[in-house]
Amino acid sequence: MMQIKLCMVGAFAVGKSSLVRRYVQSAFSEKYHTTVGVKIDKKDVTIDGATTRMMLWDLAGEDAFCRLQTTYLRGSSGYILVADGTRAHTLDAALELHGRIELELGPLPFVLVINKEDLAAEWTIPDERIAALEGRGIRVLRSSAKNGDGVEAIFAHFARLPAEACAE
Amino acid sequence: MSAVVQAAGVPDAPSSAAGAQDSLDAALGALNLLILRRADDGTFLRLNAAPDWSGLLGLPDNSRGVGIELAGRSGFLDNFLVDALQLWLKAAPGRICSGVWLETDAHGGDWPLEAQALVADGNQYLIIQHLSEEYAERVQVMQSARTHLLAEEALEREVMRRTAAVRQREEEIAVRLLSASSMRDEETGGHVRRIGLYSAALGRALGWDAVRTADIRVAAPMHDIGKIGIPDRILQKPGKLTPEEFRVMQQHTVIGANMLGESDIPVLRMGGTIALCHHERWDGSGYPRGLRGEEIPIEARIVAIVDVYDAMISRRVYKKPIAEAEVLASMAEAAGRHFDPQLLHLFMQILPEMRRIRESVAD
Repeated sequence: MMQIKLCMVGAFAVGKSSLVRRYVQSAFSEKYHTTVGVKIDKKDVTIDGATTRMMLWDLAGEDAFCRLQTTYLRGSSGYILVADGTRAHTLDAALELHGRIELELGPLPFVLVINKEDLAAEWTIPDERIAALEGRGIRVLRSSAKNGDGVEAIFAHFARLPAEACAE
Repeated sequence: MSAVVQAAGVPDAPSSAAGAQDSLDAALGALNLLILRRADDGTFLRLNAAPDWSGLLGLPDNSRGVGIELAGRSGFLDNFLVDALQLWLKAAPGRICSGVWLETDAHGGDWPLEAQALVADGNQYLIIQHLSEEYAERVQVMQSARTHLLAEEALEREVMRRTAAVRQREEEIAVRLLSASSMRDEETGGHVRRIGLYSAALGRALGWDAVRTADIRVAAPMHDIGKIGIPDRILQKPGKLTPEEFRVMQQHTVIGANMLGESDIPVLRMGGTIALCHHERWDGSGYPRGLRGEEIPIEARIVAIVDVYDAMISRRVYKKPIAEAEVLASMAEAAGRHFDPQLLHLFMQILPEMRRIRESVAD
């Protein structure tokens, strides 16, 4: 079975663990539980008859107390940059992390996920900013770990990578 | 550490040494530590009794003294061993820490572990600790700190939301007051709103903060408020003004400044500055004071540009709109005479944004 490693990165409380929990366990908790350290979950996904084991590394959110160790991303097939649509500064944090990862590890496949779409009315990230990022070639996905919208699409993007690599 | 190394893996150790090993095992067990020494062949020798959680890493209980292959037992540990190997190969005293990770057991329970790689007495060690209560304390501290930060952020967002609502009301009041004065001349509500939006766009392009940008959005539309004090016979005169009438007309700048400028409210003070100086010209040929260059407040220099742009390009009852290319050519010609050349350059750079504003706010 093919195995890929994917890392969840972003500021704290943007919903990284919730996205993994929604994807792996189809569950969600309203209460905020901070992640300390690294938690690895796995899920087997079958696409076009080929099964891929996804190892999902949920890395503690970065803040003043906790800095991301980019070595955790070593050997990964890509990463999922997560921002909280209701907290615009988490997008800045995500992009800063992306810059650091590229600098230290070189380019890796990634997607930018703006989470908490169920609170779209409270989003503080303007559509123009998202459009500008897309204009720079960044793949931006919207999701809600709470109701599950857009979650499968995030991980499916990476689950297809082995098949695409074989096709090439 | 050397005591551990000497005692471990010695099959015929005297009973006193065995007793010491038992004591040490008990102590290390209490600390929830698993100590491994890296052998020359890259396998690891367990130096103390296996803690109950070592099964999480797939380590057999009876593995003391037997070379264990660690690779492939834990994704996290595999990743850490890459860094550890670099340290061990240097063979110089040193230590690195993996940071905490959670191993999940068959029942879904999480076990917080932390590994350290170190070199001591020329030997290479890997020490893995189950953090148990220490981890719970760390989580509690982080949870508390982050919950506090989230509450602060939420409070800040609420303040910003309410400030924005106040701003919107200020703008609404300003526009409605202006609509009263502009009923006497030919300016439209759309023009008044656009002047604020264009000015704010230029402010943002200049790197102004959100407060200053919001201030100019409200203050710029008040640039002509002093016209309320100009007699109808002059303000609404269809033909050219006489020199005396023009002198009276020029007074709208001073009247506007007097109306707004003495306020303690920053946005009104800015409105007063703009009202007074928006007819000043870069070369000093403007009015009422003949200021030149950067003597003219930047807010007024901004409004001078966007007011002319919007007035020329828009339709009025007394004139047709002028084609944008012609407007821009005319403005470019006035750079350094009428307009601040650098500001006009910036205006040209953000022209697509200006067009969007013009299209979105109709007369």
